[in-house]
Amino acid sequence: MAKCYRSEAHVIDYVYGELDPNMLPDFESHLTTCNKCTRKVFEYKRVLHLVDEAEGEFIPQPIAPHNLKTKLYKRLSEGPPEKPSLYSLLLKNINNVTNNVLSVLKEQKIVSFSTFAVAVIAIAIFIGNPFKPTPTYDVNQVVTSVDERIEKYRQQDIQRSLEDVLRNKHLRYSDGWDTVSQLNRVKDQAKGTDWANIANKQLKRVQLTSDL
Amino acid sequence: MDKLIDDEMLVAQFKSGSQKAFDELMKRYERKIFGYLLRSVRNYEDAEELTLEVFFKAYRALNTWKPKAKFSTWLYTIASNLSIDYHRSKSRQPVYMYEDEEAIEKRLVANDISSNPEKNLEDKERGRLIREAVDELSSKQKAVFMLSRYEGLQIKEVAKTLGMAEGTVKIHLHRAIKKLQTLLRPLWENNEL
Repeated sequence: MAKCYRSEAHVIDYVYGELDPNMLPDFESHLTTCNKCTRKVFEYKRVLHLVDEAEGEFIPQPIAPHNLKTKLYKRLSEGPPEKPSLYSLLLKNINNVTNNVLSVLKEQKIVSFSTFAVAVIAIAIFIGNPFKPTPTYDVNQVVTSVDERIEKYRQQDIQRSLEDVLRNKHLRYSDGWDTVSQLNRVKDQAKGTDWANIANKQLKRVQLTSDL
Repeated sequence: MDKLIDDEMLVAQFKSGSQKAFDELMKRYERKIFGYLLRSVRNYEDAEELTLEVFFKAYRALNTWKPKAKFSTWLYTIASNLSIDYHRSKSRQPVYMYEDEEAIEKRLVANDISSNPEKNLEDKERGRLIREAVDELSSKQKAVFMLSRYEGLQIKEVAKTLGMAEGTVKIHLHRAIKKLQTLLRPLWENNEL
């Protein structure tokens, strides 16, 4: 078969209907003489046709997710999930362990009030008071305005995005190109906030490193 | 609500406090975004969760959103970022789960018992193999392929959605089709297609 110097990109652009209209007549007349390109066009069209069929079977008609509106407003009313503090997690684990130990001892009928009292005193000495009431919110610090809450969530969202990018870069889940595009996204997202400057600094650093 | 109102007008109405405007936007795009995510993650429940996440993020950010591109492009950007993150987190897990596909098909496709069951089975198997080949694409190749092929986005719109240069989109698209061709070739060489 004669060697053809046409770019493969032309073939795919043609199959996708994205070929520059100025180049279209020239390419179509080329197809009448070049077996190699004609065969490629045929094969690519066949691949796309097969995939279209398989995807058409997968979702025969557009479907809507179940109860999206209700779920969305429910989630919006809940606000972002709060992370439990380290202290409360530790306390929870200790309480669980204590409960397990006590239940085992109870089954064996060797538990006494004094054992329980000793355990509680030990926890109080080493960790702190397990019966201390959980701290309540300072009413003055509660953000009341919806706009302020949305802004607060936005800032948290930006921070999370930036942390994700840096973590992925650090763990090498992302290559340089990925990191640059992710940082650009965060920069766009953070426009008008201090996070944009931080994202920009990181971006410059990554670009500098990849240039080197 | 009037269908002739364009998305940007609805966004403006939402910004001035109209909740109904957001409901209308959601009504317009929930099927498209859900379809895109379902094709991308191949799992009904995960696609539902991701769709919720897309509209949750959009709702929270819409007040500060400045229309540089179309609203739909922005929604697809959120969806494709979430989908890429999803695949990234899945790729860290050791086992790829395919068992959900049967459940999806049961839910989505009405059983045609009048036709030849053996042929039906073959067709289903063939469809599954082809979709597996699509799932073999990298997350970026798949995003480019899906957006351009099934969401009707032009190359430049895909580029905007994914934050890539048009040339990069074309490269991903070319590689996706080449890879699919390589993966599917054994099937038609064995006359299975």
